Amino acid sequence: MEKKYYDAIVVGAGHAGVEAALSLARTNNKTLLLTLSLDAIAFLACNPSIGGTAKGQLVSEIDALGGEMGVNADKATIQLRMLNRGKGIAVQSLRAQADKNLYHIFMKQTLENTENLDIKQAEAKEILTKDNKVVGLITTQGEEFECKSIIVCSGVYLNSRIFVGDYNEAIGPNNFKPSNNFTKSLIDLGLEIRRFKTGTPMRVHSDSIDYSVLEIQKGEDNIQLFSFLNEGKKPNNIKDCYLAYTNETTHELIRNNLEKFPMYSGEIVGVGPRYCPSIETKIMRFSDKERHQLFIEPESLNTKEVYIQGFSTSAPVYLQEQMLHSLKGFENAKIMRDAYAIEYDCINSLQLLPTLEYKNVSGLYFAGQVNGTSGYEEAASQGLIAGINANLKMKNKEPLILSRSDAYIGVLIDDLVTKGTNEPYRMMTSRAEYRLVLRQDNADLRLTEIGRNVGLVTDERYEIFTNKKQQIETLTKELNTLIKADKLNPFLEKLGENNVESSVSVYNLIKRNNVTLQNISEYFNLFKNYSPTIIEEVNTTVKYEGYIKKQKEQIESAKKQEDMILDKDFDYSKILGLRLEAIQKLNEIKPLNIGQASRISGISPADINVLIVYLKTKK
Amino acid sequence: MEKTICAISTPIGVGGISVIRLSGKESINIVNTILENKIENLEPRKMLLKKIKTKSFCDNAIIAYFKAPFSYTGEDVIEIQCHGGIYITNEILKALIKNGATIAENGEFTKRAFLNGKLSLDKAEGVIDMINAESEEQAKAAYSLMNGNLSTDIKSMQDVLTDILAEVEVSIDYPEHDIEYTTTQKFVEKVTNLKEKINNLINTSETGMLIKNGINVAILGSPNVGKSSLMNALLGYKRAIVTNIAGTTRDTITESYVYNGIKVNLIDTAGIRESDNEVEQIGISLAKEKLDTADLILFVIDSTRQLNDDEKELLDKIKNKKVVIVINKIDEKKHEFTFENQIEISTLKNLNIEKLKQKIYDEIINKNIIGNSTIITNTRHKIALENAQKSLEDSLKTLENTENLELFSIDLQNAFLFLGEITGDSNKENIIDRIFSKFCLGK
Repeated sequence: MEKKYYDAIVVGAGHAGVEAALSLARTNNKTLLLTLSLDAIAFLACNPSIGGTAKGQLVSEIDALGGEMGVNADKATIQLRMLNRGKGIAVQSLRAQADKNLYHIFMKQTLENTENLDIKQAEAKEILTKDNKVVGLITTQGEEFECKSIIVCSGVYLNSRIFVGDYNEAIGPNNFKPSNNFTKSLIDLGLEIRRFKTGTPMRVHSDSIDYSVLEIQKGEDNIQLFSFLNEGKKPNNIKDCYLAYTNETTHELIRNNLEKFPMYSGEIVGVGPRYCPSIETKIMRFSDKERHQLFIEPESLNTKEVYIQGFSTSAPVYLQEQMLHSLKGFENAKIMRDAYAIEYDCINSLQLLPTLEYKNVSGLYFAGQVNGTSGYEEAASQGLIAGINANLKMKNKEPLILSRSDAYIGVLIDDLVTKGTNEPYRMMTSRAEYRLVLRQDNADLRLTEIGRNVGLVTDERYEIFTNKKQQIETLTKELNTLIKADKLNPFLEKLGENNVESSVSVYNLIKRNNVTLQNISEYFNLFKNYSPTIIEEVNTTVKYEGYIKKQKEQIESAKKQEDMILDKDFDYSKILGLRLEAIQKLNEIKPLNIGQASRISGISPADINVLIVYLKTKK
Repeated sequence: MEKTICAISTPIGVGGISVIRLSGKESINIVNTILENKIENLEPRKMLLKKIKTKSFCDNAIIAYFKAPFSYTGEDVIEIQCHGGIYITNEILKALIKNGATIAENGEFTKRAFLNGKLSLDKAEGVIDMINAESEEQAKAAYSLMNGNLSTDIKSMQDVLTDILAEVEVSIDYPEHDIEYTTTQKFVEKVTNLKEKINNLINTSETGMLIKNGINVAILGSPNVGKSSLMNALLGYKRAIVTNIAGTTRDTITESYVYNGIKVNLIDTAGIRESDNEVEQIGISLAKEKLDTADLILFVIDSTRQLNDDEKELLDKIKNKKVVIVINKIDEKKHEFTFENQIEISTLKNLNIEKLKQKIYDEIINKNIIGNSTIITNTRHKIALENAQKSLEDSLKTLENTENLELFSIDLQNAFLFLGEITGDSNKENIIDRIFSKFCLGK
């Protein structure tokens, strides 16, 4: 029988897998997407939301590069808010409550309607290689394919095991089937397998919650959606969220029953994330805190299931119930799905190149939670980059490596392949050095051109982008407009600003604390032919000019180190003066340049000096 | 670093033993060329008695080998201990150079130690200062630097910054959590405190530079008031030519003495006066230049006469400088003077010379700073500290104008990087670790 041929096979159809498959198919590669269950495509297995601090930036970047997450999230949004509104433009992030059913359905439809893409329900069993190159894949069902590239996006499904009190079973999230065969193939290829854990809270019947004693959290109407394609559209705010709190009774219940939690009884060996800890971990680690905040989020329009964010636990069922009932407003709450902890296999991301290709097998890529990350947005970012690079490699083109000053995605991947991670990795704005230039609002200005070059930005998106750029340029020129003192002073007084004696340019006005381009435009009826987005963009650039300049200087000085290229086949034991630990780390990671080398944990500034001197004397 | 360097490590001159050092890959091979019997397997850290044989002479010497990277420079190092004396030592050095070694530049061994990762930048600077130390306080400051006292201070400052940054970051990354966010007022307090600490360190630099470079004291005054005599008296030996002919000193003379552990550089200036003599004029203009770099001016006047117009004019010119009026020739005193800051002496009778030395010291050296464990003696360190301080100031200004913490954090991070320039360590310790050890977060 003749084997079926695909250019690329994507293993797993979660948030990483769908981006990888779409980007490959959209760049004209014959692509196969394998999933354990067609009903779990782009499944929001944990919280029913997309975005949040730093993650919102990731979604915008995926969108600017021509990925799907932002578009799909916009379709499935049932509430939208801007986090950090009070804190300044650089760290503002969109967060959408997404309808988990719609999110899945819309993504599945998009995949089904994509040319060059076959979708199939099957479990990958073994990767076939020849001379350290990917040549094919065999499924558990016995089907064999030939291919040039494989993108592994297996999420938390490899040898997964869930824990609820004493009960534990080898199944995947939400009782989906796990993949128990694939890890062996990865080990055979030399991958180092590790065990991580995460968890999810219970889902509760909405009618059993007394919302009258909870604090309501409404969506915001005047905000931009995730996708730059949806400029000017209003968000669909049709559901509310609520706030609840734990109390002393909850805490006592946990403290008195600690041995009932597999987390504490030692049954779970996996390493869990610090930023998404279970409620028992939170209470034990921060014993002086009197209460912990919980977010009550609707799961979907067509179900009454409600998600209790912040209450993830591995407690036995009866205890989960007692804990839930101790919360104000939840005295009679009914659990529909139990909370559980889940353990799974993942790889050591230090074995990957910045393209997300495995160092030892050409054509084999990894993306998403299998790389040790947590979060839908982190997964989607990697899926997109792995897909892009697999395509570029098959076409013998230069790889796409985003730098830390290009994008949060650059920070994410650089962290993964340079520092590695010992716990599920979550994106945070504090991980980015240059967040004033890596804003959500300018993701398109930073990345659309790059997305265009790799063939993912459509004509429609490109036109929106070039228009925006054009408009920003002309509006920036118009900032020379002078406003006369007699007209200006009433306006300034209103804002509590000092009066002026002669005409002042709009540009100089924006520099004042309380003046923005928005309120100038409104008060003086100026710049009316520009959209609010354009006005905001220009306002930001001018207002923060000084800070942006400082940050660009930092980028420039860091770039000097990024430009000092290291040979990727070099044997570091040949350099005298390097410490043994440094030699091991450098030989393991093989950094591309001095900048990357300096970020490896365990590499000291002294080691970097040695490397720099070595580079200089070699010339 | 392909070159193997060599140098005589002990002072040049007649002594019992001299040490010659080599560092670099070829050290063993080069040493072997001057030995009567070559050493086959040289064992590290063991001393061997070997016969050195060159065309002109023989000597018995001790050879010690330090294998890379376990040596001072991090390279293969060989030390030759030969009999002291200018001739033998120089001949061995010449032989080594003839056979492939290169004479080391000043401080090159330490430079290599730094470049090979054996020493941090500030410590390496400490070693260089230590070698160049000419006074007790200078040596103390250098030793403190070499020992990493400054590194420790800088690290603790970076630590404070990391804490502040963690607090900033947590409020940005977890806007929705029920955490007690640090108030702006608290941030202002913390940054102001840190700024104060950096400021204190910067304030030691003036004294620090004086410790390292010595106090520059210019001796100024009309011709023939006894400037050169004063210089000789302070030095305790005759350096300047003393005559009673006005205008004898035409060049500026610099000599040093050490007082209370501090080096004092005396600059005897040509008597400043209108002169037709060309050579003297050059001397005078040089003297005026020296005045600008002086930390202290000793303005010498003659107590046997009133101030003349030239002197009054000159005094007016230096009124913005630190000046001590030295009233000379009090053994023949004819006039009383009441300057704010004056001392009466006689160079002829050696009266009050010790008192004057004490006064020079007191005028310049801040005794409070001398006791400090860390004193800034290096311009590079001072600039980095000033930059860090400026960044902190900027960060405070940001907080005055806005509550945008991410803008605040940009300057804090700059401050962190500037501090790192001193130790060469700008790698941010993981702020994220700090966040999670202090705050309870999660979804």
